[in-house]
Amino acid sequence: MAQEASSSTSSKTISLKTGDGEIFEIEASAAKQMKTVQRLIDDLGDDITIPLHNVFSKELPKIIEYYKKDITGEITKDFEAEFVKDLNDDEVKVLFLAANYLDANKLFEFLSQNIADRLESKSVEYVRKYFGVENDFTPEEESKLREERAWSFRGIKEDE
Amino acid sequence: MAAFEELPEGCIATILSRTTPLDAGRLSLISKTFRSAADSDAVWDQFLPSDPNFIDSIISHSPSLANIQTKKALYLALSDRPIIIDNGKKSFQLDRKSGKKCIMLAARSFAITWGDDERYWNWIAMPESRFPEVAKLNHVWWLEIRGMINTLALSANTQYGAYLVFKMIDPSGFENLPVDLSVGVEGGNNNTKIVCLDSNVEPMWHIAGRRNRDWNRHMRRLQDRVVGLPRPNIRSDEWLEIEMGEFFNSSLEHEEVHMSVIETKAGQLKYNFFVEGIEIRPK
Repeated sequence: MAQEASSSTSSKTISLKTGDGEIFEIEASAAKQMKTVQRLIDDLGDDITIPLHNVFSKELPKIIEYYKKDITGEITKDFEAEFVKDLNDDEVKVLFLAANYLDANKLFEFLSQNIADRLESKSVEYVRKYFGVENDFTPEEESKLREERAWSFRGIKEDE
Repeated sequence: MAAFEELPEGCIATILSRTTPLDAGRLSLISKTFRSAADSDAVWDQFLPSDPNFIDSIISHSPSLANIQTKKALYLALSDRPIIIDNGKKSFQLDRKSGKKCIMLAARSFAITWGDDERYWNWIAMPESRFPEVAKLNHVWWLEIRGMINTLALSANTQYGAYLVFKMIDPSGFENLPVDLSVGVEGGNNNTKIVCLDSNVEPMWHIAGRRNRDWNRHMRRLQDRVVGLPRPNIRSDEWLEIEMGEFFNSSLEHEEVHMSVIETKAGQLKYNFFVEGIEIRPK
């Protein structure tokens, strides 16, 4: 049964359990920013540990760090730059997928911009590898596409 | 380490909409899902100028655009070639790489001193021009051309360059002649560049033998006036262009940008200069 929101929601914390079994605490007001978490709270109640099967202990702390700053209104350009500075491409990708799963809109938008920046001017092969996607075009289809879109290949480092 | 799942198409579109038109065009080759995301309206809507009234008004000048079904096709059409607007006084195009607005002002929109006097200037049709009329200089001492654009017509937060677009056919009087080109925002700084509109950098006259020292000295003095000055470049549409200056469109307010071509000091006749217009495009 969903409980009534307590009048002191700002001090209430929610327990989240990652897919690899670790437990993290988060403020209820931060949990509100992640729509998936909020839906689980609405269904399961806020006294239960909320299970997040697709988010793991490597990335959840970083997400919690972001939303801690968000609820105090402290997200600045400097903070965001610092946030992604030491993340490699795989780490950003994992965080992005987690933000998508958690329906955490602000983080999702921010990371999508960061990934877009990392992909700018990169070759088709590079981006395929980055996302781990298989090329499902036939060679004929691919060369036809390349011809149609020749204008988009100007100035690209194809061997990167 | 989280297992990597198939990225949903919506996520791909979100990322691609934050890249550039070239990236979105090219990355459609990654896979069928990527192509579907990369070609989607959600992505290309982000690359088109955001004011919908503006797009509608451009489409009204070019009825063939009205039948275009997708935002991507619309973007490609608007960035493919110039569209004549404003009763033949302007042309519009999107810069394909960036989606920024490019405008060329036709000579007909300029204030040309003596421009209405047929002895000095004629208005002629040239098939190689995009505009219905080109200004042809018969001859003049006082060369003064002024144009203006309101930044309302351009993209915000962009550094723009202004380029004089012209031809010379059997010209005379422009060799060794410094000309002043200016660009300035109204109420702000006006920057002037001194250029030479003659493409030939080689001196036109022989340096006569030692017997004619006065002549040599005279010619050398003339050529010194244009040593090191910028010269025109040839464009892909085969007109010449020369940069007049640049300005930043901040979009905070709508401002008038004034541009001018002035040569009134040398007191010499200039002939056969054909002005198509001034192009304003992102730097």
